[in-house]
Amino acid sequence: MGDYKLTLVSQVSYVEADIEQLAQRTEDEVREHLAAGKLVEGLEHMSPEYLRGIRRILTVSADTEWVSAPSYLRAAQHAPALNNFGSAMSIIQDELAHAHIAFRLLGDCGVDMDWLMYERPAEEFKYPYAFDVPLNSWVELVCANALYDQAGFVLLSDIHQSSTFGPWKRALKKVDKEETFHLRHGRTWIKKLVAEPEGKAEVQAAVDWMFILTLEWFGLPDTRKRHGIQLEYGFKGKTNDELRQDWMRAVVPFMEEVGIQVPAHLDEDTDTYVIDCPFPARFDPEKREWDLSVGPVSWDEVLDRWKGRGEMNSVYVRTMQRGYQEAHVG
Amino acid sequence: MSRAWEVFARQSYEEPLHHVGAVREDDEELALVSARSIYDEQPWIEMIIVPRDEVREAISA
Repeated sequence: MGDYKLTLVSQVSYVEADIEQLAQRTEDEVREHLAAGKLVEGLEHMSPEYLRGIRRILTVSADTEWVSAPSYLRAAQHAPALNNFGSAMSIIQDELAHAHIAFRLLGDCGVDMDWLMYERPAEEFKYPYAFDVPLNSWVELVCANALYDQAGFVLLSDIHQSSTFGPWKRALKKVDKEETFHLRHGRTWIKKLVAEPEGKAEVQAAVDWMFILTLEWFGLPDTRKRHGIQLEYGFKGKTNDELRQDWMRAVVPFMEEVGIQVPAHLDEDTDTYVIDCPFPARFDPEKREWDLSVGPVSWDEVLDRWKGRGEMNSVYVRTMQRGYQEAHVG
Repeated sequence: MSRAWEVFARQSYEEPLHHVGAVREDDEELALVSARSIYDEQPWIEMIIVPRDEVREAISA
C-alpha cells in the first residue's frame, strides 16, 4: 500500500506529461532503491522509466489472461460432459481473477481500468498472437492448457521470482498455484486421449499447429532484442530465449512420454533444447498450418503477422466488452 | 477514478487477516458488494475493507 497519488485519468494516461507527474523519482533514485534490496511498492517509488516499463509488462500479462477467458469459453462448449464443462469454467474463472490482479495494479499505476478492459480498441490489446487463432474443440482446449498455460506459467514464475514490483510479486504466489492446476488439467486429459488411436491423432493435429505458435509466444530472440531496462529494473528475470528454453524443458519431455511428436529435442552435450523445424516459420491462419517448405522466414514477417492480428481478436474483445458497452453506450 | 479500498480476509480462526486485493468504488456499500463478489473464490470467515486514503504509514517501505 502506501500513499498513492491517484489522478483522474482516462485515455490520456499514456501521455508523457502524465507519467512524469505520477512517477517523480529519478532513475538514479530507483537504482539506489533496488540496489538496497527494496521492492517498488507504488508510484511513490517509481521513476518515469520504471512506470512506463511496469505498465508495459503488466498490460501484456493482463491482456493475455483476459483474452484466454473468451477463447477457452468458446472451446468449452464442446466439453464431453457437464463436469468437464465445470472444470473448464473454473479455469476460466481463475484466468479472469489473474487478469483482474494485473488490471487493478495498472489502476494503481494511474491507468484507467475501465478504458483498458472495456473501451480499448481490439487491435490495441497486447496478448500473444496464439490467441488470435481459434480453439475449435475440447481437444484443442486441453492442448492449450498444456501448452499455452505452460507458457504463462514459465513467464509468471519468472516474474514471481524476479519482479521488483512488490504488489505483483506477492500476488503471483496464488496465480502460480492455480496455473499448476490448469497444466495438470491439460496433461491429465492428453494422457487419457492418447490411449485411443483416434484421440492421439487429434492431439497430434492440435500440437502440430500450437507448438510453434507457443514457441513464438516468447518473442524475438535475444540476438534481435535488447532487454536492458527490463532486466536492470527487474520487470522480469530471464531473457526471451532463456524463457523459451524453460518452456521446452517442461513441454518436450511430457510430449515424448505420451508419444506425441514435437519439432524439438534435447541436445545432451549442451543441455539445451534445439528446435528441429524452420523457426520462425510461415503460418497459414486460414488452414491453421505451418508452411515449413519455405524454410525459416524473417522475424519481420512474423511481426507483420502479429500486427495484422487474427480472426478472433475482434470477436473475443467484443465478447468481453459487450455488457459494458450496452450499459454505458447504449 | 473511483476511490480505492484495500480488501483483507482470512479463512480460519487461527489465521490473521491478510491483504487479498483491492476494489475501486465511489460508494461504501458498492465497495462491500464488489469485495465480496470479486474475492469470492475462498470460503472466508471474515473480510474487511479499508479506504486506501485513510491508511497512514508509521514506517515506509
